[in-house]
Amino acid sequence: MSGMKSMNRRDRAPREPVVITGRAAVTPLGCDVATILDRLFAGESGIREYIADERARTDTRFAGPITDLPVPPGVDPDEFKSLDSLEQYSLAAVINSLADAGFDDLREVATRPAAPRIGIVAGLGAEQMKFWETNSLGGGTTTFDACRDPMTVHRIAARIGLTGPAIATGAACGSSGYALALARAWLDAGWVDVCVAGGCDAMTATSIAAFYNLRALSRRADDPAKVSRPFDLARDGFVMSEGGAFFVLERRREAVARGAHLYGELAGIGMSSDGVHMVAPSTDPTQSARAITTAFADAGVTPDQIDYFNAHAASTPVGDVAEAASIRLACGDATDAIPVSSTKSMSGHLVSGAAAFEALVCLGAIERQAAPPTVNLDNPDPACPLLHVPHVARPCPITVTASNSFGFGGSNICIILRAA
Amino acid sequence: MTHQLPAVSTIDCRITGHALREARYSEMEELRVRPSPAGAPPMPPRFLRHADEHTIVGLHAVLDVIASKGLSAEALVGHAVVGAPCQMGRLATARVLVAMPAAGALAIKPHVVPQCSLHSLAGAVSVALGMHGPHLGVGGGVGALGEGLLAAATLLMSGGDPDCRGTWLVATEWDEEPALDDTATPIGDPLCRAIAVLLDATPRDDGDGEREPAVTLRVRPTHREKRVPFEAAGSSAIVALSRAITTALESGRSEAWTLACPWGVEVTLERRFHTRSLREAA
Repeated sequence: MSGMKSMNRRDRAPREPVVITGRAAVTPLGCDVATILDRLFAGESGIREYIADERARTDTRFAGPITDLPVPPGVDPDEFKSLDSLEQYSLAAVINSLADAGFDDLREVATRPAAPRIGIVAGLGAEQMKFWETNSLGGGTTTFDACRDPMTVHRIAARIGLTGPAIATGAACGSSGYALALARAWLDAGWVDVCVAGGCDAMTATSIAAFYNLRALSRRADDPAKVSRPFDLARDGFVMSEGGAFFVLERRREAVARGAHLYGELAGIGMSSDGVHMVAPSTDPTQSARAITTAFADAGVTPDQIDYFNAHAASTPVGDVAEAASIRLACGDATDAIPVSSTKSMSGHLVSGAAAFEALVCLGAIERQAAPPTVNLDNPDPACPLLHVPHVARPCPITVTASNSFGFGGSNICIILRAA
Repeated sequence: MTHQLPAVSTIDCRITGHALREARYSEMEELRVRPSPAGAPPMPPRFLRHADEHTIVGLHAVLDVIASKGLSAEALVGHAVVGAPCQMGRLATARVLVAMPAAGALAIKPHVVPQCSLHSLAGAVSVALGMHGPHLGVGGGVGALGEGLLAAATLLMSGGDPDCRGTWLVATEWDEEPALDDTATPIGDPLCRAIAVLLDATPRDDGDGEREPAVTLRVRPTHREKRVPFEAAGSSAIVALSRAITTALESGRSEAWTLACPWGVEVTLERRFHTRSLREAA
């Protein structure tokens, strides 16, 4: 360490670019990145018939569950199976992202002369509700006892030997996007040299029932692959899924110095709040559009430089229209030239893990030079006038991408990823 | 890595207001419908009807600060919020779990996710007061205050919203985590506590004008091996922070400690005299 300095926003020096050097995901479409992206760009759906718990007795028949999650390297299989599903998903994605970045053995890394300080920011917006429910339905008493349990992110940090700060974020559907925002700021501040960031979610009976009772979930009961229909006239709600993604972030100079592979640059972030309602998105697009334009400014790009836009569009009647208005307000005349898709049409809604997963999709778009499709977009809603990518991926040059995540409480975040 | 690592920065924030609010479980229903105090903007009608106990106490702490500082509704528009609750939503989840075996999905109130999750405290403050800065929840466990301080300072420093004019940290806890009976009702009458702190990026002292005292909060994370548990003022770091802010403001005595969360965050409070900018003075 070269010393200590005090800073505030006015003192901030020009930002050293922050790059992504590791990535991993656990999703209904698969648990390795190549498979996930192959399926996504082929327009395949991860939605299937699924009943979370018979005791909840909901009419919801479809969801995007995780199946066949491999035990991550270095973890005892029996111990892994004993973990809560959310901790399994998060631990696997964290370990695999670090391994992808070349940090296979953190105990060894910690012995190096100038060992990097590795922190973690995890978007785990509903972990306690999930933990209390699982414990109670499994016959445990934790929910009713006067105890305070360690948080998932702290257990993961301790298990794998992270030496930097560890924190969980909750911003509803934007949770893992805010995790990326904090991680980048920590790198800017010199608080960490490497930061693992992302997020995951896990479905439970009560979460499915709560969203169902909010009338936020689709009530279609036909083909599971056709239920999630963002921007389509026949959309009637989203499909719950689980999983998420984690990334390894580093300052570019240090990543290059150690010869890391650069997947992309976390170039811009914009955040805002509607300040209107605890559940419904605002019909006034001003604030959500401000998150987008702030992200553009942060990345130093203009709307006409955006090559692909991954929309939050969860397939709800109100939300998709509101987001289309936001994109149009933020991008102006450039809107008609920006391919926009919602990959929730294939993945379902990963809730706390959605923003990170969709950032992974953007990296895939840069890597594959193609915009992934919105499947089931048979009849685009004229109230969502965007340059859609219906049914099949569209090959096109992609250098800069944008991704929206809008959540309960009117929480808005937009993330700009750029080819490194 | 063999090259020199960059400096570890501290982040300085100015505390422009704070309040500690406590309420017993038996007081919650009254507090749920209590109007804003004089000098604070009114909340939307029946706004706290579905709110978690942490949100009720936390939002009233924010209203106390607003009333004491005379902040207008317009002044709040550009504010961000970090909510740092400890075990928020446990009572609501327990109530759902008690009812679900008999009633199934019908027992599950639709508001349990939007109102009782990690984001809900910050979301409620943002919505109630019409704020347009970012809001997020952090922590959720015993180290929530430290994590909240770090996140709030990070938001102020990072400028994720360049129009942001201030950041609220609202940290909440039960004084003692309540045990629940078979109906998910707390045994006894537990005390819920919240601190609301309004933070601002520290201004430079380079202008003419009135000089006023304010407490500067300086934070940075520490390495795990250096952590020192902070156990002043009994077990409540929230109470200790409130006292430390008051002490620093009134006596000028600086305080420094490390919060365990469970890694560490170093916190230093100092009284400084700031020159009010023309905009602030106006």
